[in-house]
Amino acid sequence: MTSARPAAPPAELQLLLIGIGGQGIQLIGKTLAQAATNTGKHAMLAADYGGEMRGGPSNASVVIGTEPLRSLPILPSATAAIVASHKFAGPVPQRLREGGLLLRNSSVVDSGAGREHHRVVEVPATAMATELGAPQASGFILLGAFNRLTGLVPEAELVTAMTALLPPYRAQHATKNAEALSAGAAAVAGQEAPR
Amino acid sequence: MNTAVAKPSMQLLEGATAIAESAILAGCRFFAGYPISPFTPLLEHMSRALPENGGVCINAESEIEGANMALGAGATGAMAATGSCGQGLALMQETIAEAALNETPMVVFNLARNQQDYFQATRGGGWGDYRTIALAPKDIPEAVEHTQLLFHLSRRYRAPTLLYGDPLLAQTRVGVHLRRIEFDELPPQDWALDGTGGGTGESRQIWTWAMGKATNPGLGPDGHWQQVAAKFDRIAELEQRSEQRYAEDADTLVVSFGSAAKFIEHVVEELRAEGHRIGWFRPISLWPFPGPALAGATAGIKRVLVFELNAGQMLEDVRQYARDRDAIRFIGGVSIHESGLSYGPLLDAPEIRARILAAIAEDSTRSTS
Amino acid sequence: MTQELRIVPTDRPPADGKARKVADFRPSLMLGEHGLCPGCGEPVALRILLETLQDLGIVNNSIGVVGHGCYGSFVRIMDVDVLQCLHGRAPSCATGIKRMRPQTAVFTMQGDGDMVNEGLQEVLHTAARGENVTAILLNNGVFGDTGGQQTATTVLGQRTKTSIEGRDPGLHGHPIPVADLVASLDGVGYVARGAVGTAGSIARTKRMIRAAFESQLAGEGFSLVEILTMCPTGWFVGAPQGPDYLAESMEQVFPLGDLRARPKPSGAGA
Repeated sequence: MTSARPAAPPAELQLLLIGIGGQGIQLIGKTLAQAATNTGKHAMLAADYGGEMRGGPSNASVVIGTEPLRSLPILPSATAAIVASHKFAGPVPQRLREGGLLLRNSSVVDSGAGREHHRVVEVPATAMATELGAPQASGFILLGAFNRLTGLVPEAELVTAMTALLPPYRAQHATKNAEALSAGAAAVAGQEAPR
Repeated sequence: MNTAVAKPSMQLLEGATAIAESAILAGCRFFAGYPISPFTPLLEHMSRALPENGGVCINAESEIEGANMALGAGATGAMAATGSCGQGLALMQETIAEAALNETPMVVFNLARNQQDYFQATRGGGWGDYRTIALAPKDIPEAVEHTQLLFHLSRRYRAPTLLYGDPLLAQTRVGVHLRRIEFDELPPQDWALDGTGGGTGESRQIWTWAMGKATNPGLGPDGHWQQVAAKFDRIAELEQRSEQRYAEDADTLVVSFGSAAKFIEHVVEELRAEGHRIGWFRPISLWPFPGPALAGATAGIKRVLVFELNAGQMLEDVRQYARDRDAIRFIGGVSIHESGLSYGPLLDAPEIRARILAAIAEDSTRSTS
Repeated sequence: MTQELRIVPTDRPPADGKARKVADFRPSLMLGEHGLCPGCGEPVALRILLETLQDLGIVNNSIGVVGHGCYGSFVRIMDVDVLQCLHGRAPSCATGIKRMRPQTAVFTMQGDGDMVNEGLQEVLHTAARGENVTAILLNNGVFGDTGGQQTATTVLGQRTKTSIEGRDPGLHGHPIPVADLVASLDGVGYVARGAVGTAGSIARTKRMIRAAFESQLAGEGFSLVEILTMCPTGWFVGAPQGPDYLAESMEQVFPLGDLRARPKPSGAGA
């Protein structure tokens, strides 16, 4: 028999990623978790996605902290959310804590409920990605923006993690994905949370 | 590629990968399995990493073949393992029982879809007086430790051992430190088949019936199976594992296992912070069930809540050991994701919290009416 | 051959009183007498298998995997390291053993019920994987151990306890020539079918077993020797009638000979 440690107060970033298959939700989740790990942080990535490769719900949650994590793999509440698609954004309003950062892909997600309770930032990620000539990279636009808003890791760490995670048959996307990360960051310049 | 070299730094690994790497660190050299969700990534990783570490992984033609390949490999003294989810383990039951009765070490990984395999893990579906040591880790770091412990116990007791995981353990990625755990030295494996016994008059034999050779008779089924049964009685005494918190000053104790216990821990901490006198108890070894520890933890408890993601399987073991059977309330249930491959909405902290509070409220109503 | 052959009556002891049991001639690897029925062909198959291990000098470098049938009792009398495994699964267990001990000669011993009924998947996949093991099939066309029921190799017309009027293809289907199936697969080094009904067939079958082990030792892949064996008890014939019954029934359906010859060694004689 062993005895458990008492709970420590959570000082963990809890991020919900909400989108549909094909938007690269799982890849941006992995990129963020891997970059955080590479910089010495504790990270968790819990995936929850439907069977379809494209078009079905694709959700993930990422938890990042400086101590061993205590968050559950199914988050009862989150401190931040990235909503890439309106189609399956249902749980966000209930799960996102008051005052939490809500990053919306304004190209496809209507402004909706929650605005008054959350710190909403909008980025037209789909339009920007199309403009970049890389429609598959809208997720990285959102990730770049999110990272700038939160200052989680140096942007170069995201590029390194993303490049390493791409399977060989997608390696050609690395350059455009990196451009998307930068474009996303630039789009929210000046909106960083006061620290 | 993540190969099994002990790295001091933290690696972000999918649970199935972390378990596979831990198995290789423990010395696993043979793995055979048949793809099935959510076990598949463990097999995939083994198929890459085992050959890089001098081992063999076979994508078997069925769960039955995979389990018997592992049994054959284990019979040579090699550390061998197989795995599936509960559906595939159903097909392996005969082989698991056979390995228990002919005393071949092997580890079986059940990366299950939910908690509906508790009876399968703790009772088994093979014939004969056998039991299977079954550990249920609450999260990936613990699964990494349990994996190595199971290889050790399997060899120490010459018996199959089982890890009971789930989709959260298999598919979540977390930062883990992989390292080899050192255990007590094991007795020599003089029973292992290496082919050198032939022509000596003392050739070796692995046989469920333990008949021995004409010149050197064995115990036979009667004596052998009594001996095996006595061994499992000994294991039942020695290998109980559990964890508990706040039982000493609680009115309510929640009993749960595996990933569900991690959620219970979380909710109990919340409720404690709000002033509820509540604690939790977690069997880590599902078999042997930590009955005496549960009996101790439930002494003086007003209500024992059992939470598991099935129709009430561990509930039977709790009923056997809880100090006051009338204090037991079942607050779990069957809850399956629409894909059929994972948990449904019940495995969620707010839902669990509501059920606990409802159970407490119901008791209060009853006691005041 | 002009020499006249003397007919030796085998249905009674010889008149000179010098009869000795075949078991007295057993190889030293046989630790005791078998307990199978009079006229059974399986002990003969065991004897030539063990003699082959001795002839090849691999006695103390061999592991046997034995299935479930009458021959299961051989585990007690064969002085070889043995895993007694579940019904039908010997090729899978042999796979695990061979992969962990590639320098060891690994063989299975299975009956037709074991290999062709319960374990058809195992033997076919093990062969197709090219596992470097030798399978020995003792085929008598019935479940001998349980008293003579129909197996997947029971020939058409044969009476068994579960086809009492004779195997009827309309009711009971057709026998499976498993050795021919295995011989058709890539990954296979050597396949042959022998018998133990006569002194000649025994000698020829022993050469087949030797070829199978030589094939394994040369790393040529899976090898199988199917041995047709007498089961007078399961066939409901007298012990002396076993060999003739074998020749007239099973050998007609399952012809003897090499079904897949060993690959020709380059630059060397056979």
